[in-house]
Amino acid sequence: MFEGLRARLQKVQGTLENNIARTASPAGIASPPMEKAGSASEKDPTLLTRVKVLITDREFLIAEKDVEEPLFELEMVLLENDVALPVTEEILRRVKADLTGKRRKIGESVDDIVISALRGALLGVLGQGFDLLSYIQSHERPVKILFTGVNGTGKTTTVAKVASYLKKHGCSVVIGAGDTFRAGALEQIDVHAARLGIKVIQHQAGADPSAVLFDAVQYAEAHRIDAVLADTAGRFHNRANLMKQLEKIRRVMRPDLVVYVDEAVAGNDAVVRAYEFEKTVGADAVVLTKADMDAKGGAAISIAHTIGKPVMFLGVGQGYDDIVPFSPAQVVDELLGVGS
Amino acid sequence: MLDRLGTSLKDALKKLAGKTVVDRAAVEELVKDLQRALIQADVNVKMVMQLSQAIKTRSLEEQPPKGMTVREHVLRIVYQELVKLVGSAGEARLEPQIILMAGLQGSGKTTTTAKLARYFQRKGLRVGVICADTFRPGAYDQLNTLCTRMNVPVFGNPKEKDALKIVREGLPAMSGTEVVIIDTQGRHALEGELIQEIIDIQQIAAARHRWLVIDAALGQQAAEQARRFHEAINIDGVIITKMDGTAKGGGALSAVAETKSGIVFIGSGETSDDLERFEPDGFISRLLGMGDLKALVERAEETMAGQEVDVNAMLRGKFSLRDMYAQLEAVNRMGPLKQIMSMLPLGNMEIPQDAYDVTSTKMQRYRIIMDSMTGPELDDPSVMGSSRIHRIAMGAGASPEEVRELLRYYKMMKKALKGVRGGQGKFNMQRMMKKFGGM
Repeated sequence: MFEGLRARLQKVQGTLENNIARTASPAGIASPPMEKAGSASEKDPTLLTRVKVLITDREFLIAEKDVEEPLFELEMVLLENDVALPVTEEILRRVKADLTGKRRKIGESVDDIVISALRGALLGVLGQGFDLLSYIQSHERPVKILFTGVNGTGKTTTVAKVASYLKKHGCSVVIGAGDTFRAGALEQIDVHAARLGIKVIQHQAGADPSAVLFDAVQYAEAHRIDAVLADTAGRFHNRANLMKQLEKIRRVMRPDLVVYVDEAVAGNDAVVRAYEFEKTVGADAVVLTKADMDAKGGAAISIAHTIGKPVMFLGVGQGYDDIVPFSPAQVVDELLGVGS
Repeated sequence: MLDRLGTSLKDALKKLAGKTVVDRAAVEELVKDLQRALIQADVNVKMVMQLSQAIKTRSLEEQPPKGMTVREHVLRIVYQELVKLVGSAGEARLEPQIILMAGLQGSGKTTTTAKLARYFQRKGLRVGVICADTFRPGAYDQLNTLCTRMNVPVFGNPKEKDALKIVREGLPAMSGTEVVIIDTQGRHALEGELIQEIIDIQQIAAARHRWLVIDAALGQQAAEQARRFHEAINIDGVIITKMDGTAKGGGALSAVAETKSGIVFIGSGETSDDLERFEPDGFISRLLGMGDLKALVERAEETMAGQEVDVNAMLRGKFSLRDMYAQLEAVNRMGPLKQIMSMLPLGNMEIPQDAYDVTSTKMQRYRIIMDSMTGPELDDPSVMGSSRIHRIAMGAGASPEEVRELLRYYKMMKKALKGVRGGQGKFNMQRMMKKFGGM
């Protein structure tokens, strides 16, 4: 999903490198005598510092204005790729702080400086990944996982995919059909579970989701099942009553993990709702769905940064196997075109 | 966070007040705030840049018409450009027709199909629905449940895997109806087979309208998706869903631009009645997070809430229970209190968040309680003692606690309104009102 962002990022990276290389070279060639540098210094102290640094330490100093234009370009790239505005500003701040005032040794590749600055900034916001399998292995079972999110982000499909993923890796799973509101939701999860051969605990439509999920947990405890996956109805974060219902669910079933599901194609609102969900019911990990939609991937960066929680999986298609664990370092390296 | 945006825009507009010459710096600041607002609303970055450039050049180069202040001039340009950006509503005639729904997974096609069926049904047309979503489990059940509730016939077969066959069989089966809506499975631009499927469906159905359903939260991706849907089946209208969340729906604008169509409907709720025809002005207000810009432009300061709620009396500190009653009545017709307050020319006044947290059912209760009060009590709630409270509670079938709660709410509102006046003095306040009146 990150192809578009990758191409553009690499372009910006190129501009940054050029600008830095350009500012460095004239000073390098001129290599001015001390008196000349002294006279210039009265007007332009930066030049003096620069020359001083150059002569004494054989290093270059990168000034703010050298990176200004490419940074604006970087800002546009991030915005066009759905990184929310506040998050974009944060990334820019980091790159800027990282680059300006930095001394560059002659001979050190400009490439490395720029890449490490960008990489640092991106990794800083993406954080660590989350390994569900080792989490389940290292915790008391059943591990109870609650899936939350707004309407239509793909919670039910994700529950089915995660169930299939866990089953494939040798964990026993039970699904709690906590979406008792949407028409057809129970039928949907039923069909998924039947195809995967997984038990579903459900009541009738309109039942109290807390009760359903409590039963699912009881079932798992009685049958020594490794993981309970609790589906819930989609809800908007600005609906106080629905959010209270979710709080109740959390109180009743006491999940070990609350997983927030959102779509990779979401724009700026991703930040607002991630924040609200994290605030009211908390979130321990994030699943990003619909990453196969040629998405720009900015939502991953925005959400991870807003709630400071790791992205656990990416949903990349309509099949049960279309789910991949998310590894930030790998994604960032791919974005910047380094490594494999 | 989002409300602050609206405020900063207002501040920027205020800086233009009273100027005789258009101030370049002020315009630039305004444009910058506008850019921030629009980008946060997910409007395509390139479109935002074009828009802001147009506003900048026009504001600085065009001469303000006679009798129009600089601020009105700039405001008018901003408004005109925004209207151009948003476009006009797409057409939806009340006549026999076939409508094909298209969209990404989870954008709300099935819910919207039911809402549309309800819309046309209420307008007196016979509606039928075909469920051509053969992929997602439960899709037919979902549509069937929703449509059975409102007695709309549904054609579909959860066992059938061939969407084309369903459409082919469904159209004759629906020959007794006037409006046929075809719900399809979610697909995205990169799924070649599915795109081909919807092309084939369109070939069989020859639908008069091909509407693209877009999630209000969809970001910069909207343009690309819309373009490819447009190439496939020539989209002629866009429906924005999930506008009841906090997303602003700016992404849909790129879809409109790509398909050269208009927004037809807006979905904003979970029941089948929560569908509205698109209305550009309200949409612009929402995009910018500020009150009704058009009302400002037309200097129609006393429209809308003005007649319902006596702003002047409120600001004089004479906010009685009667005013609150009028307010609550207005709420019923105009939506949440917060929205009304944002339409009132009150500037940047801060109303405590608690005041908004009163739910609509509570509002209803409050009105019933107030119906049990006497005239003097409504005019001057300070006469209310425990025996009066008891009488009111008995009359309204409420508990005295509820009546006290209502009085507390009233006091809070009153205090908030007083706070606006506070510090600045009466004369200042009146001047401010005048200023806002001219907005």
